[in-house]
Amino acid sequence: MGNFGNKWNKFVEIFLLQNGYVKVLEGLQNTLLIAVCGLIAGILIGTVIATVRVIPKYKRLPRILNAVCSFYVGLFRGTPMVVQLLVFYYVLLPLLGVKMTGVQVSIMVFGLNSGAYISEIMRSGIQSVDPGQLEAGRAVGLSFSTSMLEIVIPQAVKNILPTLGNEFIALIKETSVVSFVGAADLYVAFSFIGSNSYEFMVPYLVMAAIYIVLVLFISLLVAVMERSLKKSDRRN
Amino acid sequence: MIDVIDLKKKFGSTEVLKGINVTIEKGDIVVVIGPSGSGKSTFLRCLNCMEDPTGGSIIFNGVDIADMSVDINIHRRHMGMVFQHFNLFNNKTVIENIMLAPVHVRCQEMKAARRKRIFGSGKSSSGEARLPTRAQIRAGAREEALALLRRIGLEDKADVYPSTLSGGQKQRVAIVRSLAMNPDVILFDEPTSALDPEMVGEVLDLMKSLAKEGMTMVIVTHEMGFAREVANRVLFMDGGTILESAPPEEFFTSPKHARTREFLSKVL
Repeated sequence: MGNFGNKWNKFVEIFLLQNGYVKVLEGLQNTLLIAVCGLIAGILIGTVIATVRVIPKYKRLPRILNAVCSFYVGLFRGTPMVVQLLVFYYVLLPLLGVKMTGVQVSIMVFGLNSGAYISEIMRSGIQSVDPGQLEAGRAVGLSFSTSMLEIVIPQAVKNILPTLGNEFIALIKETSVVSFVGAADLYVAFSFIGSNSYEFMVPYLVMAAIYIVLVLFISLLVAVMERSLKKSDRRN
Repeated sequence: MIDVIDLKKKFGSTEVLKGINVTIEKGDIVVVIGPSGSGKSTFLRCLNCMEDPTGGSIIFNGVDIADMSVDINIHRRHMGMVFQHFNLFNNKTVIENIMLAPVHVRCQEMKAARRKRIFGSGKSSSGEARLPTRAQIRAGAREEALALLRRIGLEDKADVYPSTLSGGQKQRVAIVRSLAMNPDVILFDEPTSALDPEMVGEVLDLMKSLAKEGMTMVIVTHEMGFAREVANRVLFMDGGTILESAPPEEFFTSPKHARTREFLSKVL
């Protein structure tokens, strides 16, 4: 460890003088872009799937939709994210003749993947809401979808917010595999710095620190949102 | 107003309703009593298709709503329902609870009218009245909701969440929530069973005042005194059928069916 100062100086030199910080900012931007867009897409997909899975199933269409959704969830929970990225980037997209950048593919795969996980989280959230809430909505003449959107899902989201926060944290950390399809994330930025200086210790330490800061920031955000959503529980 | 013809309901292989025939006229106050498991709540819940009937028909204002192909949402807007456990929307304030359905329905109507104007016959719309905006609809519904809250003396609770109300207050809000749609009939599913005894009175008083105004009501309850005082017909159900249907005086003083006598001797 005697030459840690030396290593640190090398890192600072590349970071500041050889535009290392530009790479890092780019990487940070891509990491956040993939995680945030993936989460938003995942929430949308997950909510739709969870809703489909709680529709009463004595008609044919809900049964078919339910089977499709089960298959989708099974597929995306049953394979690693890296495999999904590789399959989309190197198999499906060339077969379909679609050209997408690594970041775009990553956003798509992260959305689809987290959609599968969030659908199960959301389903447990929906089932945690008293069935009387949906009944009361239907009884005043609102449709199933309106009752879900106005009454059930807001309460479900409040119940699952801590778990959704977890999912977001997991997504942020999983972005570190997107370099498999050529997307330049934080990992790519810091290994660039590392390989330019033949010195990996400091870059990877700084990278770890950045991930921790990101995650702490998200935890804080979730706590703030939880508090503001709790206002309907509070007694005045 | 409601004609129930040979209504049947099965849950799996258990038959809960075995052919119910009832006619409810405008202004009727029908109280349904019976031992637990007799199917009285299921009967009530079939009237607005919260449970889909498995047989028979329910003719409401001339339409068979037991038919799965009718748009039940439109008909439910004319049938209020009050639940045992209040079921106020927990994520909405008291006044939003009351406004939700009226605002939603009127906005839908406004949008439909606008579509019709744009894609409709192509005639100039110069002579037609202007459509209300969403804000105007909300403001109107808010006024009506405040008037309803004033009626039950809870105007000051308009902007609090239901979790801060007492049981009796919640149930009174639930009743005016169903009134907000100006229903033709209100269905009450054991409205006082989940209340502390001291709060039963305020809810029954509100129901009595609705009865005086001529609201049609179907009430499942265990409050025999209330049934006797307010109802103009009492139905006694057991084993999925209506055993006896009579005006309250006759029902409570000279019940005809042996099962009714046995039940009344236990509860009175």
